[in-house]
Amino acid sequence: MAILIDGRIFGLICLLIIMLSVVYYIQRAKTGAVPKIRRVAGVDAIDEAIGRAVETGRPVYCSHGIGNMRDATYGPQTIAGLSVLGYVAKKCADVGARIVVPCRNPEVWPVAADIVETSYKMSGNPDAFDIDDVKFLSPDQFGYASNYLGLLMRDKPGAHIMVGAYWAESLQLAETGNRIGAIQISGTGNQHQLAFFVVATDYCLIGEEIYAAGAYMTGEIALISSIAGQDVGRILGVALMVIGTILITFGSNAITQLIGW
Amino acid sequence: MSDVFRRIEIPIAITIVCTLLQIIPFYVNIQPLASTADTFRSWMILVATCATFVGAISLTLYNVKAIQRRSEDWYYSILVIVFMLAILLFGLPIPEAGLGDQNPQFSFLFVNILTPLGSTMYSIIAFFITSAAYRTFRARNIEAAIVLVSGILMICKNAPVMTTFWGPFVDIGDWIFDVPNMATMRAVIIGTALGAIALAVRTLMGMERGYLRGGGEE
Repeated sequence: MAILIDGRIFGLICLLIIMLSVVYYIQRAKTGAVPKIRRVAGVDAIDEAIGRAVETGRPVYCSHGIGNMRDATYGPQTIAGLSVLGYVAKKCADVGARIVVPCRNPEVWPVAADIVETSYKMSGNPDAFDIDDVKFLSPDQFGYASNYLGLLMRDKPGAHIMVGAYWAESLQLAETGNRIGAIQISGTGNQHQLAFFVVATDYCLIGEEIYAAGAYMTGEIALISSIAGQDVGRILGVALMVIGTILITFGSNAITQLIGW
Repeated sequence: MSDVFRRIEIPIAITIVCTLLQIIPFYVNIQPLASTADTFRSWMILVATCATFVGAISLTLYNVKAIQRRSEDWYYSILVIVFMLAILLFGLPIPEAGLGDQNPQFSFLFVNILTPLGSTMYSIIAFFITSAAYRTFRARNIEAAIVLVSGILMICKNAPVMTTFWGPFVDIGDWIFDVPNMATMRAVIIGTALGAIALAVRTLMGMERGYLRGGGEE
């Protein structure tokens, strides 16, 4: 009996290459060789948006999507959204802004509440934390959306940050945020919702940018360097596509066989 | 003792062990590992199910407080609690007592209230799309002009009156959908997958801590 499962060996090799690249760049950063990372306008705008909310005396709304933390595709988006929430909550606690976190998923709600509560404690202002501001709205997608829209219309937040896995409710939330005049920063890896976020919000983190946002915001060199590691995977992917296209054109299915190895 | 359990290293260690237990059996054929991974997945469902009660308790507490404080629009909180209790009661899985998903009251609430409300919320997206399109479809720069032209061509492709007027709208629309649109979508999908892998590596190494108490100790 083979130890490695047939049809997954090539995938394992690719995964190991990408993982080792990320580790390599993290280790390399420790020697002082820090890769240059382009600025992400949406992430840079978060501080400005919170500042504007404070100036206008309005709350900051920060949501992490409607996905859970378990799903292979959407879970990482929720984790990325929670990383952004961690940063936003810290900033809000530091400058005394009220942060409201609408939650759809009951298993994510305690994590979000813990992140916000710890942020207030770390800023030395634990009494300012109100558990009712981390709101569990409804496990139903449109129950959540209608409740969220109502909150937006009543509270009229100055900043509205949405990073995570969103589906059909994305445009409803973004358009309502636009209508009430909030500075909006959005981001998702669900490509069918990206168009909605791009047109309806001020800044949009596209796909992979949401995963980089957590590392980018911490400013930690090792974390930022790990972003460069994923470029190796990108190069690998593009190379496979180009070689595969050429080989298929000339009647060879070597790449298909390799991928199925 | 309680401080020990609040240490951030504990959830990080749990995350690393659980992640490895899911990754390794996917590629490597080791039966004990695979069955352990299956057991962990069952635990995950249990934890998620327990979390449902946390959500229900949180929702109840929030709305009870809103009623007690007579907060703005507090009377809606009464509706939330009444309907939540009604669904909970009628949906209890006790078929001997006439309760559960076959209960007529449960079906009535589901079919005549929840489903139409959900459909209404979904359908109002059409109006949001219209207002977003009205604001966006302005040729303020080259990129916006490309969006505008592509959008108009796609509308023409999907409007029977336009395709009847000029047949090639279908081919142009199909080309936009299948070539530039598909290429962009695939680029986003590949980038997103790579980003998720990098996030997983950082999580495995215990470096990505943003989702744990904002990344810091109290």
